[in-house]
Amino acid sequence: MLFLKDLTIKKIQEGLKNKEFTAFALTKEFFDYIETRDAEVQAYLSLDKDGALAAATAVDVAIAKGEDIGPLAGVPMAIKDNLLVKGLPATAASKMLEKYTAAYDATVIKKLKEAGAIFLGKTNMDEFAMGSSTENSAFKVTKNPHDLERVPGGSSGGSAAAVAAHMAVAALGTDTGGSIRQPASLCGVVGLKPTYGAVSRSGAIAMASSLDQIGPLTKTVEDAAILFNAIKGKDPLDATSVDAEYSDELLHPRLENIKKLRVGLPKEYFIEGIDERTKQEIGAAIEKIKSLGIEVKEISLPNTKHALSCYYIIMPAEVSSNVARFDGIRYGRLDELQEHEPKNLLGIYHAQRGKGFGREVRRRVMLGTYVLSSGYYDAYYAKAQKVRKLIKEDFDNAFKEVDVILTPVAPTTAFKIGEKTSDPLQMYLSDIFTIPLNLAGLPGISIPVRAYEGGELPVGFQLIGKPFREADILGIGQMYERLRNSEPVEL
Amino acid sequence: MTHITEETVEYLAKLSRMDLEGGEKKKIAGDLEEILTHFEELNEVDTTNVEPMTGGTAQRNVFREDDADTRSEMNGSSKDIIDAFPEHARGYLKVPAVFGEQE
Repeated sequence: MLFLKDLTIKKIQEGLKNKEFTAFALTKEFFDYIETRDAEVQAYLSLDKDGALAAATAVDVAIAKGEDIGPLAGVPMAIKDNLLVKGLPATAASKMLEKYTAAYDATVIKKLKEAGAIFLGKTNMDEFAMGSSTENSAFKVTKNPHDLERVPGGSSGGSAAAVAAHMAVAALGTDTGGSIRQPASLCGVVGLKPTYGAVSRSGAIAMASSLDQIGPLTKTVEDAAILFNAIKGKDPLDATSVDAEYSDELLHPRLENIKKLRVGLPKEYFIEGIDERTKQEIGAAIEKIKSLGIEVKEISLPNTKHALSCYYIIMPAEVSSNVARFDGIRYGRLDELQEHEPKNLLGIYHAQRGKGFGREVRRRVMLGTYVLSSGYYDAYYAKAQKVRKLIKEDFDNAFKEVDVILTPVAPTTAFKIGEKTSDPLQMYLSDIFTIPLNLAGLPGISIPVRAYEGGELPVGFQLIGKPFREADILGIGQMYERLRNSEPVEL
Repeated sequence: MTHITEETVEYLAKLSRMDLEGGEKKKIAGDLEEILTHFEELNEVDTTNVEPMTGGTAQRNVFREDDADTRSEMNGSSKDIIDAFPEHARGYLKVPAVFGEQE
């Protein structure tokens, strides 16, 4: 009756209102499909069939009574496992939280529930969001739905794979250095990292607090705009959240205004190390954007090459303090204390943290501890904070000349499972084009260059906007999408 | 070239309250050495008179009225949070002794 792969948020809303299907039947259909498809993709860590079907029934009852339904009513979503949904597991793909059940809803989850969304389950990720391939999960390896021998990217790899494989209409992820945009690019879906402060992080398991943001992964740019609109806003539970003003152009971009935007191509992003295919696809995307009548010109962001070092000092420093809360006591213990293990508090910390954290988490905690330790603080951490300022100033200067910046998302298409696991520095390099935005706090979106079907590996391009100007990047994205799908650009 | 010894790794493990497996120290020392050496390229950036960027945005302090919040409405009930604790009794959290081996 339904074609899961064609569904978008808008189509679900229309279908429910026109009584073409019920939310219950739709949700049931998704679970049936997940049962077979996820056996090979492995995107989900846990499912909540009972909760989802109950929420779907509530939507159907509201429709039957003729009540108004929310803007996300009946939309089946997947949620990254580092976001708290009350009563469901939230493991962050770590053994440390294997037995933890969320005691409250994250603010974004509360907002989505009020809008009527249905949560199918929690998705796999790199442990505590540390990684670029989802291979650092303590529980399973998620496969790229376009090629099961390749990674989906990370750290929101489960969310990206679930949407790409039509096992959810949309998903939430988190992005600290590219963890929404890079898997979106590798899986051929849309991924938005909002401006730092646009979305509350209350109820997100913190990784690096000056960099983390929550955002949507969707099939279309239009859906990304709808979801961003639903989750944004100031929240007393996150002091960094901001009451920014957004006009109705966020949801309804106008071509006449979009055409006036100037797009910059930073020469430092079009460098050696980008594979040939990615280069060609990005070139094609630029041509399409020009054909909308948008001015495109070269710009310079001179400190780009320092972003990776800067990020890999600041992020682990923040990680080492954020994961200090995982002491093997507060969120449940890994297992009963062994006879030979120390019974005092310090001994328990050492034993539980040693067993509970995976290799990459341990590596980053040690790195962060090193750059913050006495004698090295100024040489590393203080230096990185100054370089971070220079990187932000590069963007500030560029945004005097242009309104939006276009770059690749990742230097390569999806790589093979196991290809980069033994060399952390190589793995870190897969985030070089996404990291600078987190350092500068800017919004960015990854958009698939084309609709990828039939075994082709997807490539995404990134649009970077001014702070709180998600409307610009989503607007160009929506026009691009219509052009790509041969739909009328002006609605 | 930054040199990281296994003793440094042991010291970092102690600071971060984390036991490491014996064979792992060498691998971590090698990884840290490679990564820290890569960071040396930052030395070529002139940061004289540059103010450090200490957070995600140039935030001003955020104040609110000094009223007691009803946390249960905002952040879950205290019962749910206490239930997540491995050992608890009558609303109290039970933790191991800080000093020595005694119960």
